Amino acid sequence: MLEAQNLSKTYSGTPALHPLSLKIEPGEVYCLLGANGAGKTTTINLFLNFIEPTSGTALVNGLDVVQQPLESKRRLAYIPEQVMLYRNLTGLENLEYFTALGSTETFSKGQLLAFLDEAGLPAGAAEKRVSTYSKGMRQKVGIAIASAKGAKALLLDEPTSGLDPKASNEFSALLKRLSDGGAAILMATHDLFRAKETGTRVGIMKHGRMMAELRTEEFGHADLERVYLEHMHD
Amino acid sequence: MLATIVRKEFTEMMRDGRFRSSAAITMALLLGAFALGWQHYSEVNAQHEAARKSTRQDWLHQGDKNPHSAAHYGVYAFKPKMPLSLVDHGVDPYVGVASWLEAHKQNEFRFKPAQDATAIQRLGEMTGATVLQLLIPMLIVLLTFPAFSSEREQGTLRQLLSLGVRPAQLAWGKALGIALALSVLLVPATLLGSAALALSADQGAMAASWPRAAIMALGYLAYFAFFVAISLAVSAVAPSSRFALVALLGVWIFNGLVVPKAVSDIARLLHPTPSAMEFARQIEHDIENGINGHDTTDQRAEELKQRLLKQYNVDSVEKLPVNFNGIRMQEGEEHGNDVFDKHYTALWQTFERQRQVHELAALAAPVLAVRSLSMSMAGTDFAQHAHFAKAAEEYRRVLNRKMNLEIAHHQKPDDSGFTRGEDFWATMPDFQYTAPDLAWILSRQRLSLALLAGWMVASLVAMAAAAGKMRV
Amino acid sequence: MLFNIIRNDWRNLRADRSLWIIGALLAVLIGYGVHNGGAWVRFQQDTLTQAAEEEAGRLTLIKTSIESANAGRANPPSWRDPRNPFAVGNTQAAHYVSMPPAPLAALAVGQSDLLPYYFKLSLKSRDTLLGNDEIENPVHLLSGRFDLAFVIIYLFPLLVLALSYNLISSEKEDGTLAMTLSQPVRLGTLAWGKAGFRALFILALSTLISLAGTLASGVNLSAAGASPRFLLWVAVVAAYGAFWFAAAVAVNALGRSSATNAIALAGLWLGFVLLIPALLNVTVKALHPVPSRVELIQAMRVASDDITRQRSQLMAKYLEDHPEFAAATDDSMAQYAIRTAAILDELDRRVQPVLATFDEQLTLQQAMVDRYRFLSPAILVQSALYDLAGTNLYRYRHFLHLTEQFHAAWRTHFEPLIARNVRLTPAHINSLPRFHFQEEPFQAVFTRTTAALAGLGLSALLAAALSAWWLRRYPVAA
Repeated sequence: MLEAQNLSKTYSGTPALHPLSLKIEPGEVYCLLGANGAGKTTTINLFLNFIEPTSGTALVNGLDVVQQPLESKRRLAYIPEQVMLYRNLTGLENLEYFTALGSTETFSKGQLLAFLDEAGLPAGAAEKRVSTYSKGMRQKVGIAIASAKGAKALLLDEPTSGLDPKASNEFSALLKRLSDGGAAILMATHDLFRAKETGTRVGIMKHGRMMAELRTEEFGHADLERVYLEHMHD
Repeated sequence: MLATIVRKEFTEMMRDGRFRSSAAITMALLLGAFALGWQHYSEVNAQHEAARKSTRQDWLHQGDKNPHSAAHYGVYAFKPKMPLSLVDHGVDPYVGVASWLEAHKQNEFRFKPAQDATAIQRLGEMTGATVLQLLIPMLIVLLTFPAFSSEREQGTLRQLLSLGVRPAQLAWGKALGIALALSVLLVPATLLGSAALALSADQGAMAASWPRAAIMALGYLAYFAFFVAISLAVSAVAPSSRFALVALLGVWIFNGLVVPKAVSDIARLLHPTPSAMEFARQIEHDIENGINGHDTTDQRAEELKQRLLKQYNVDSVEKLPVNFNGIRMQEGEEHGNDVFDKHYTALWQTFERQRQVHELAALAAPVLAVRSLSMSMAGTDFAQHAHFAKAAEEYRRVLNRKMNLEIAHHQKPDDSGFTRGEDFWATMPDFQYTAPDLAWILSRQRLSLALLAGWMVASLVAMAAAAGKMRV
Repeated sequence: MLFNIIRNDWRNLRADRSLWIIGALLAVLIGYGVHNGGAWVRFQQDTLTQAAEEEAGRLTLIKTSIESANAGRANPPSWRDPRNPFAVGNTQAAHYVSMPPAPLAALAVGQSDLLPYYFKLSLKSRDTLLGNDEIENPVHLLSGRFDLAFVIIYLFPLLVLALSYNLISSEKEDGTLAMTLSQPVRLGTLAWGKAGFRALFILALSTLISLAGTLASGVNLSAAGASPRFLLWVAVVAAYGAFWFAAAVAVNALGRSSATNAIALAGLWLGFVLLIPALLNVTVKALHPVPSRVELIQAMRVASDDITRQRSQLMAKYLEDHPEFAAATDDSMAQYAIRTAAILDELDRRVQPVLATFDEQLTLQQAMVDRYRFLSPAILVQSALYDLAGTNLYRYRHFLHLTEQFHAAWRTHFEPLIARNVRLTPAHINSLPRFHFQEEPFQAVFTRTTAALAGLGLSALLAAALSAWWLRRYPVAA
């Protein structure tokens, strides 16, 4: 579960995020839409405790991320636009490292390979160096890290931008599986189509302010685009 | 086109706070070093001048005594300093300041100033040479490494080349822009340095100093050009700014720190010098036993006696028209001179071979070429020290000969109270040293000059080539 | 957790090959440095052996000459007579006093290439001690030697910095930092794990290779005082490495780019290793200038001229002070010996104040360097390493002190023999005073080096504290 309570961030007087309240239940996929600089990444960084909030609190599974930075991180997984991995290590070694850091459980090599396989990494790629991977393959390692950790909350920062439609589709399927497994997912994206397909709720942000929140089941693709553009007009 | 690039680079650099502060620091250090050098030069020069006069006075007023005692009393030789030594102290701290010119013995120069200093002197000395040979190249590296790599990282390089600028042209423009920015630092420093020079030296020394200063300045400019060009070349081909910086710092350390020290040890390994004890013992041995090893002092005296008796056709030394002792002492002196010549020539040849190793090692590190050139122009290299030592030794020999011949020709064999006084001492002219002229010095710097020029040309070619091959 | 970070870092470095290149480079540099230091120590030892052999041969020759003169087979002039105590004490039996290289001398050449390590001592004036330099090309003195101390002071920090200048910044630039920190890991844990691991690696390598090189260069670690010195040496190197690692972490903690970090660290290195020592050197020399040796030469000449002029008064006064010599005045050789002794005493008395100013000023300089060496870890390390290797000014001055004591003892030994006009026998030659170099008490070395060590440790802690402080406000998401 992810929850923001009057969460805000101001950079030397300039508000990057106006007080935001938000609650994402297990099994929900919340998509943040908005132009560049709308405050999407700031929100995600606040949940990650990478930046300190000016006011309010960010909770992961009920834990305040500022008060309990390590405990809260045990419960979440992060997949940025580019899943950055150690180039000179193999996918398996990267997974091993990150799960060893992130999870209390220790996994056998077979289990780790199974995670990568589930995430859809082509057979044989796991033992190759990450420097040979495509972007889609790296995203899959990111998913494997998240599922190995058994994360209760996922923070995704434009994870599908730059992926080809097929890879993007596969990614959405994986996301669906994690969400079905009871994870709360917060995803910043520009992809209205993907948001409608995968998301359960959509929030439209502008200049650090939440403009509108919609449930995806209540409208069609065309409606979403219209509402979005309406809000983008000044 | 070129002018536009140069202007842009220059403007950018002058607006860069990092350039302004590091250039200000370097400038302050350079001027400080010049000021200290100037103070040191004037102090030492005054001291040596006074000492030179006083040793002459001591000689003249040593009182009435036997000329041989006078030769034992001797005089001191103090090496004069050249005005340009204010820029580069060279080996001066590591050679003795004075030599005693006495009878029978060629003495080493004693009292190395470096012996009267603490060990931190070995970590670094604040001299013009340090700033010019180490700090300014570091400044160049720090300013130049991102020249191409960061333009590539920011994407401005694609922009520029899409406008039809040729990469080589861009490289030359950048090089000139950096040169212009550096001149903001170097021109005032040079002017102030010259002013210090003009203040500190008398007219004669000044006239000799200007061409040397000019050659020294050209040498340093070539050395800086090498660093600008090599930095641009590395920046052009490096995969990232970070890589360019690390690689160039590597070049700087290798050039400035590792090679000069490593070469000293290699040169010593290739051309070992004898221990001082061994050297002294061999000289002693040869003096005692003759150069060929089987003419002892006594035998030589006996031979000389027989030769003289035969020459003057008399049957005892008392009947000789000359004083036998005087002749014998002069013979001994000349024998000693031969021995000293043999050993010192061998030693100095070894030093010379070691110097050649250093000279050749400039193929690995241009700093060795510019250091050699700089020291020689400042008059502080070993060649000029040896030149002075030879002149002093020559004077010692003339003095001894004059004293011995005075005895030979004027002392009666039974006259044990034979003395001479100030009038006679005054007939021995004062020791006047003429420093070698520029041609003499330059003839010893041909290889260094060639290598310095070679490095500059090679680095500029590398720069143009690297710019041509640059990834965008 | 820390273990995972270290293992991951190890895998990365191993794959990167940079660790191997740097390790191999360090090994080559250390090997070359130790080899050079060892060669210099062997050169000194060989010279001292030659000196001892030469002296032993000379003493044997004196003894046989005494016997042949006693037997009437030879009749040397009195100034060369081996039975004449003055001839023997003044030239023939001149004794080599020497300072043999300390156990760790091969590790740091220090000032030993510049300062004498033996003197040929006799009744002659003490000022003969002033010029006994080893032959060396001045250009080599200018460059200094490539010894282990050079590798440690200059190159070791650079290798440390090469391994750590982008410790965190590269992870940030590659994006892996955000990935890692989205796991329950503190930034501090990550930074110290990485730095500590690399430090351990370099340190283990330096110690191992120092030890191997030390043994290879013939240093005997079981020699008296060698092992505590070696341990201190390793501790100093470790503290120096720790300082540079902490400095690298501190600069990384400011959150700038890798290139900026590299510039900042190169600047720090330049400042600590080159600029601060050079500026301190200049300051020390300006505040406590050592007078020019040219002035010493002039003072000595004036004094000896004066003495020559007053020779007869001097002689009378000397005999007043030393009535035991009065009986010997009828012998011309003894007279010459007494006159020489009188002149020597007077010359010493007159030149002493001038010589003392050199000594005082240099002592002041050294004291000031000792006080302000805490300004730069490089100076601290230099002072400690030279001290442990016994190639600094302290051990040399200790040697000079012992030499002067011995010179006095030599004169005390010969003066009664001269005064009583004793004819020397081979037994006399066998019982000449011998010089044995006594090491400076280890306590003194220990006090000075542990002060340096404490300074280094403190600098490292300071840098570490700054790092910890800056890491807390590290901008993970810029």
